[in-house]
Amino acid sequence: MKKITALLLVLVMVLGLVACGEKTPETTKPQTGNNGETTPVVEPSNEPDTIVIMAPPVTGEYLNNLKVWAADFNKLYPHLTVEIIETSWGDHSDKLSTMAQAGEAPDIAEISSGALGTYVEMGVAIDIAKYMSADRLADYDANAVEYMSLEGTTYGLPLYLTIQSIGANKTLMEELGIDVAKIQNEGWTYEEFLDVIAKGTDGNRFGFVFANAGVTASDMLNIFGAGVGLSNNFTADLKYTFTSENMLTLLTAIEEMTKSGYMPNYGVEAGQRMVMCQTGNAMIFGKAMPLFESNFNKNNAALEANDGTAVENSLPMEYAFLPVPTMMGCAESCYGTVDGLIAMRNKNTTDEHLANVLLFMDYICSGDRIASCMNELYLDPVCQSGRDALVLQEGRDEQNLATAGRCIAMVEAPPAGVTAEMTATAKKMMDEHIVPKFQLLLAGEATAQEVYEYICEAAYDAFGAENCVSGKIG
Amino acid sequence: MATGLYSQHLHNRKVLYIRNTVITIVLVALAAATLFPIVYMMMSGFGPNVATAGNMRTIFPSRFTLESFEAFFNFSEYSLRWIWNTFVVSAGTVIGNVIFASMAGYAFAKIKFKGSNALFALILVAMMIPYQVTQVPLYILMVQKFSMTNTYAAMILPSLCTAYNIFLCKQFFSGLPTPLIESAKIEGCNQLQVFTLIILPLAKTVLAVMAINTFMSSWNNFFWPFLVTNDPAMYTIQVGLKQFKFANETLFAPMMAGATISALPMFIMFFSLQKYFMEGVTIGAVKG
Amino acid sequence: MNGTKQPRLATQRKFRFTNDDLWGYIFIAAAMIIFCVFTLYPVFNAIYTSFFNYKPFGSEFIGLKNYVDTLKYSKFNLFYKAAWNTLVYTAVVVPSTLLISFSVAVMILPFSKKTQSVFKAMYYLPGVASGVALSVVWLWLYDSSPDGLFNQLLSVFGIPAQNWLSSTKTSMLSLMIMALLSSHGTQIITYIAALLGIDNSYFEAAELDGATFMQKVRFIVWPLVKPTTLFLLVTGVIGSFQVFMNAYMMTGGGPDNSTTMIGLLIYNNAFEYGKYGLACAQAILLAIVIAIMSMFQFKMMGVDVEY
Repeated sequence: MKKITALLLVLVMVLGLVACGEKTPETTKPQTGNNGETTPVVEPSNEPDTIVIMAPPVTGEYLNNLKVWAADFNKLYPHLTVEIIETSWGDHSDKLSTMAQAGEAPDIAEISSGALGTYVEMGVAIDIAKYMSADRLADYDANAVEYMSLEGTTYGLPLYLTIQSIGANKTLMEELGIDVAKIQNEGWTYEEFLDVIAKGTDGNRFGFVFANAGVTASDMLNIFGAGVGLSNNFTADLKYTFTSENMLTLLTAIEEMTKSGYMPNYGVEAGQRMVMCQTGNAMIFGKAMPLFESNFNKNNAALEANDGTAVENSLPMEYAFLPVPTMMGCAESCYGTVDGLIAMRNKNTTDEHLANVLLFMDYICSGDRIASCMNELYLDPVCQSGRDALVLQEGRDEQNLATAGRCIAMVEAPPAGVTAEMTATAKKMMDEHIVPKFQLLLAGEATAQEVYEYICEAAYDAFGAENCVSGKIG
Repeated sequence: MATGLYSQHLHNRKVLYIRNTVITIVLVALAAATLFPIVYMMMSGFGPNVATAGNMRTIFPSRFTLESFEAFFNFSEYSLRWIWNTFVVSAGTVIGNVIFASMAGYAFAKIKFKGSNALFALILVAMMIPYQVTQVPLYILMVQKFSMTNTYAAMILPSLCTAYNIFLCKQFFSGLPTPLIESAKIEGCNQLQVFTLIILPLAKTVLAVMAINTFMSSWNNFFWPFLVTNDPAMYTIQVGLKQFKFANETLFAPMMAGATISALPMFIMFFSLQKYFMEGVTIGAVKG
Repeated sequence: MNGTKQPRLATQRKFRFTNDDLWGYIFIAAAMIIFCVFTLYPVFNAIYTSFFNYKPFGSEFIGLKNYVDTLKYSKFNLFYKAAWNTLVYTAVVVPSTLLISFSVAVMILPFSKKTQSVFKAMYYLPGVASGVALSVVWLWLYDSSPDGLFNQLLSVFGIPAQNWLSSTKTSMLSLMIMALLSSHGTQIITYIAALLGIDNSYFEAAELDGATFMQKVRFIVWPLVKPTTLFLLVTGVIGSFQVFMNAYMMTGGGPDNSTTMIGLLIYNNAFEYGKYGLACAQAILLAIVIAIMSMFQFKMMGVDVEY
């Protein structure tokens, strides 16, 4: 009895607290569905307001720039002040999801397009079309905006579209008599790729290395998948693609690569891939972005200056950004993801507030602001005003620039009509089933056929067999 | 002291010598394996200011320089403030635990009060729920209800008196002889006097252990301070160190330099408390 | 447990606070208030949430569905695999760490105070390295290329290079080695404190009876540090069952989910997939398992704990 009395006392205290905690904040009802065309756009009012934005350092200078832009914005709209929450790379999404689940999300947050579904499902993402003018929204490329949309509703603005592919020691490839420019201009097939990496393999040097240890294994699937019609999880008629014959072809090709001896048959850490290329231990490496040109240039300068900041044992070399090889006669493509800013619901959310929020979001996603970011990332802006404002940095390699431009144009946005639930299931499928089995293939502990069969079985279980592709895509 | 565990009557100096050598070798070998990561961390901090850990397969950097430390301090105007903040938070947490957890631990171990076992079981059970799911309600509590964002209180309060430390104290105090307490009570001491005059002097060791361990975990705590601070001036050092990581590169050497600097206060803490360790306690017969 | 077994209480009327009751409540008052607000409230909140399809603005009550979804057996439900992995990890790591810590603490004793403090500092030191720095270093140690540090070490003994974290054969082992070599500082210090509390008269008496070193350890030291061992065992098992950081930083689950732990599943559900209610349900199930395990430990080791 005594202990029950004591326990009851404690319980009363705690339940009292729980009860207080469960009051749902009085806010506007979550907007669902697409009501963009009929609803008039909410005009910003002149009441003082504070806009909270949370972002990680997407570029080295991004957070510093953000402070400048916030100040400039305040000059344009003196009644609006901006509060910036700086986060660190890699922990940003943890903080954001904790805050969102607590109902305390910032007004604007940086997310990668892959995470959009989670926030839409949570009911904290906001349909932005209602709060910004149609002509401003039209400034952004439809392809990139599609990444920030689900089922026809747009939840945010794109910052940039990053393309991921492979990169190479151009100097070495040319010494070996490989026509780098031709590959960059016209693309190549998987068979040609195999020939090239065979040529590049010599003694201590691998023709090809891909950082595929741990969760980075998914990069290899995504990047090479783009060359075999697997740019997206779903086809235009909304069927899951990773059960197609294309997937088997992809897995078989990767199995062949790992067994060929032209690439390491062990896990390679993300930090090692570029180093292996720079020290002459690998000719082609992945994943690679156009931005790496600046790393190679910096290293060449450091080697020249001999000031001890160059990568140990590295050699001077030029960098080439390469398109991904194609398989099964599929059209050339490139894997891309979009990072953007989304508007989020919290207890301060009102229509007037959202109009102000969108004003600032649009401000930093366009014009000079985005142009300066893109120069830092060696990428093309995804809005017209950004392209107009862009003054290209001196000394960029013409060939790489052209290849990057060509690749960005090839990126296929996810098909319209994919639901938040479908993306969530696809994400879980990738993390929990495809990547772990794919790692088995990389370790030589399962065959392509076995992995493919497992993936099909798991996908049929998750989506239903009728919602999965059978046979070949494209 | 437990030195008596080892034979005092080893007259054969050779045996004594061999015994101590063997023990030393085992201890040093194990310590070397344990120490390796931190040695690597410090060496990288003294190395040149390079991004991303290279293919450094040696322990010593190519050259010794302080430029990474310079880079760490130049990285943010708040670099030193981060260390100060962490110190305030850790010290606050330690003081709270030393006072409250020792009192609670003593009560659970030596005072027979109604419901003590049930309450203690409740404390243990609460420890068993992983923090990943409790931090959302805790965040709502601290940020929404108490509006404590960017305060030391927000960082200190949740760990002001942890279940872990209450448990530690209870286990230690339950080893103390009950007759000691009973006789003090017969002589007219109340429980508070028993605690302050008899128990606390005997508890120096466990309090030192608790202080050191609590300080260490508080100092290394990352996620909670990261959640409740939005202002760089209020970051703790661990939150600050993560700022050295970017999308495509990590300022590796300055980060390691920062980690090295942040280890210093913990050393000071350890060496200033370890004399309590050395003394040990002699408390006569332990309760059977 | 049965409160009336203490004879003192037999003569007292129930519900009357004794002097000791009052003192007990005074002593625990501050701790209990802090505990209720900052630990128990979130715990109850998590239990409450586990019955909902949680959304920050408008959760939906779904009864036991989160629990059913977690426990529903399917080849593709990772919960059971993660539970097994966590169990294996705990069964190896916790007893080994205890044994190592105990042995090190005992081995440090014969030296002079100065030498002792050097050793203590050496074992305490790794704890001061920030987790960020440590995980970078460990990834580098486990580099799978033939030039990787551990692989170089193996080649000295003529063992071929291993694919450490990337192979199902070694991924779990790698995490265990890492745990064994990097998490015993706290435990060693706690054990040393317990050992220093043992009175020398015990050993003197044993010495006169001609006890060997091992006999002294077995019959004097071990029983006397039992409360400490129980503490380290219970907290060690709790920590190990909740282990998350290592798996998250080092493998993210690993080949064929060979290192997917319950802690990682809970984290992913709560933060990656936005299924906070489901994560709460999994956390409660985990806590129930830990509670049962802890009860066994108290039964086994419960020298002076009345349960």
